[in-house]
Amino acid sequence: MKLMNTLQHGCAIAVLALAALASPAAHAGRSCAAPQPPKTATVERAMTLAARTHQALEASGARVVVLARSGQDLGKYGLRYSHVGIAYRQDAGQGGHVWRVLHKLNECGTAVSAIYRQGLGEFFMDDLWRFEAAWVVLSPEAQTRMLAVLQDPYRATVLHHRPYSMVSYAWGQTYQQSNQWAIETLALAMQVDSVRTPVTRGQAQAWLQGHQYWPGMLHIDAVTRLGARMTAANVAFDDHPSAQRFSGNIETVTADSVLQWLPRAGLGQPMVALGL
Amino acid sequence: MLLQKSIRSAVLALVAAGLFAGSLPPARAQSEASALSALSALPVASVVVGASAAAGAVVAAPVLLSTAGTVLVVKTVESTARGTVFVLERASDGAAVSVEVAGRGAGSLLVGTGALVTVSVIGAGTLLSVAGEVLAFIPNALGQALLFNERVTR
Repeated sequence: MKLMNTLQHGCAIAVLALAALASPAAHAGRSCAAPQPPKTATVERAMTLAARTHQALEASGARVVVLARSGQDLGKYGLRYSHVGIAYRQDAGQGGHVWRVLHKLNECGTAVSAIYRQGLGEFFMDDLWRFEAAWVVLSPEAQTRMLAVLQDPYRATVLHHRPYSMVSYAWGQTYQQSNQWAIETLALAMQVDSVRTPVTRGQAQAWLQGHQYWPGMLHIDAVTRLGARMTAANVAFDDHPSAQRFSGNIETVTADSVLQWLPRAGLGQPMVALGL
Repeated sequence: MLLQKSIRSAVLALVAAGLFAGSLPPARAQSEASALSALSALPVASVVVGASAAAGAVVAAPVLLSTAGTVLVVKTVESTARGTVFVLERASDGAAVSVEVAGRGAGSLLVGTGALVTVSVIGAGTLLSVAGEVLAFIPNALGQALLFNERVTR
């Protein structure tokens, strides 16, 4: 029985590995396979959403918000947003300022990621599933702490971990998805005042666990269906605890769970949504 | 029990392998949740004033480019060190304007003399399109503030 177990497991892993090897060809022609000329309708809507978000953020008086977008349809899984970044006001000289978003992006077709600083236009310049922005204005203390981190090139990126899985385990350190980087960096900001006090991902995650952060739970059907929109290269399950993985319960940092957590933990105001 | 578990594991892996690799919807440019956008290379342009264009500078769009729905004809296309200069003409009266697209926008390469360019005006600037694809975006001051792209880490 045990041999069978091992064989079947090994076979499944082999199939998964083969699929991963074969996937680039299967995904040729997707948006991440080659740059597409931007569609007029998409750019019009994205820039309009960016402009309206800019105006609303200006009117809010906020300096730092957690900003979300809907890059793909996750409605079947009870999720509305797919990705968050940290948006903040940055001095632009001569008394002016601009809004910038620091966020983590997966390089298409790969299992790695990088941190980008983008304007609101680029943040929404995508073929979004839904042209809607959502944000949570951080509490005054969280804004002050986060702004200090965002302006410090070392602390802003020190918890970035390049290996990427779209469904990385919320409490794991093998991979790191985008929303996970955002809240781990927020946890870093909330924990230390010293510019060079080292904080590990483990410490950041322990802080999150102690401050009412509850990851989203994707059940097997959700993961497999969600998988239809994924490339094999940026999806891995091997960082999840075996018991949860085998029962198909994938615990990961969803954008919705972040937006719900911040007000619950007293770290931000209630979420604001703005759609076209 | 172990067998059941292993079968579930195998099913998970197989379904993941099969669905991820083989059952994707027809190719379309919808983004993944956190993927670096393939659309981020918006062809930003500026109006050529006199003999020079200040790439990235905010220049008030001339009347010709301020009216949504205006259709212009590409009269000439010229490669420059900075990108591509298009001379666009309004058929009704021959009024012309030159715009310079910085870099090598994906659309610029496909547009030749005689192509019809449609003007759209949005809050962040003016869009020039050919057959539903953006030839150039001429940002106003707000548009300039909204556009920025910097890779921070390797």
